[in-house]
Amino acid sequence: MKCYICAKEGKDTEAVAICIVCGMGLCMDHVIREDVTLWEGGYPFPSEKVKKTLPRILCPECYAALEGG
Amino acid sequence: MANIQKRCLAEFIGTFFLVFMGAGAAAITLMITKGTALPNTFNIGIGALGGLGDWLAIGLAFGLAIAASIYALGNVSGCHINPAVTIGLWSVKKFPGRDVVPYIVSQLAGASVASLLFAAVVGMNAVTVGGLGATAPFPTIGYLQALVAETVGTFLLMLAIMGVAVDKRATPGFAGIVIGLTVAGIITTLGNISGSSLNPARTFGPYLGDTLLGGTNLWIYLPIYIIGPILGAVLAALAYQYMTKED
Repeated sequence: MKCYICAKEGKDTEAVAICIVCGMGLCMDHVIREDVTLWEGGYPFPSEKVKKTLPRILCPECYAALEGG
Repeated sequence: MANIQKRCLAEFIGTFFLVFMGAGAAAITLMITKGTALPNTFNIGIGALGGLGDWLAIGLAFGLAIAASIYALGNVSGCHINPAVTIGLWSVKKFPGRDVVPYIVSQLAGASVASLLFAAVVGMNAVTVGGLGATAPFPTIGYLQALVAETVGTFLLMLAIMGVAVDKRATPGFAGIVIGLTVAGIITTLGNISGSSLNPARTFGPYLGDTLLGGTNLWIYLPIYIIGPILGAVLAALAYQYMTKED
């Protein structure tokens, strides 16, 4: 698979990851890794932050949408 | 997890709203029905206008305040807002012993401030007519009968909490509304028997408010609302744990 963003720019770059949201192939230059915080618990127990985060691979567009940008 | 100060503040706020809205609704009902011809000696005012509908309205005032508090504060402290629930969870090792006393003190404080603020907002009729919504056995209901009623009611409440919230198999997101409606239903039936406190803090706050503001002294009935709810909650927690334990 090729990087979708590079392909649109006329470049031919191998993808190293896929956006978890839209499925876009991404090269190392365009991939964004976001660590999502997880919580467990809730009524009737206080919520606790889970020690390990959940890694997410996103493209720049989906990352911007996630961040509300 | 939030630190103990933040969790205690959440318990204070949650119990405050439970008493201000719930016990407040009972006091307001008594104020509305003052002077109404009562249908019989079993009736002290609540139920004079709408029968069990009066109790359902009071139950919903409690239940919706509880549901709102659970959704708003459940992630912070667990939103027990009831010493019987805190002790019930502790009895089955679902809650740490070191946090039991701070939680209960916060709940009692929240309930007390709610009663005093309610009196300040409504006026002295809330104390002299409404009794700040304090609970006591109703006419013809004995001390032991009221205690059993409180035990049975809190047993059902705690059973619902165990099944809807504590059990990992429970569907997420429903606890608040189910617990709130459960409380409303219990109050509809038990209201005119024992007052349907189900919660030592809910009774303590109005009792303290009535005492400080010159209302009726009901402290003799306090053991009903301490022993009954705690007994019911512990029995329900133990029974649920036994019934769901894998063989």
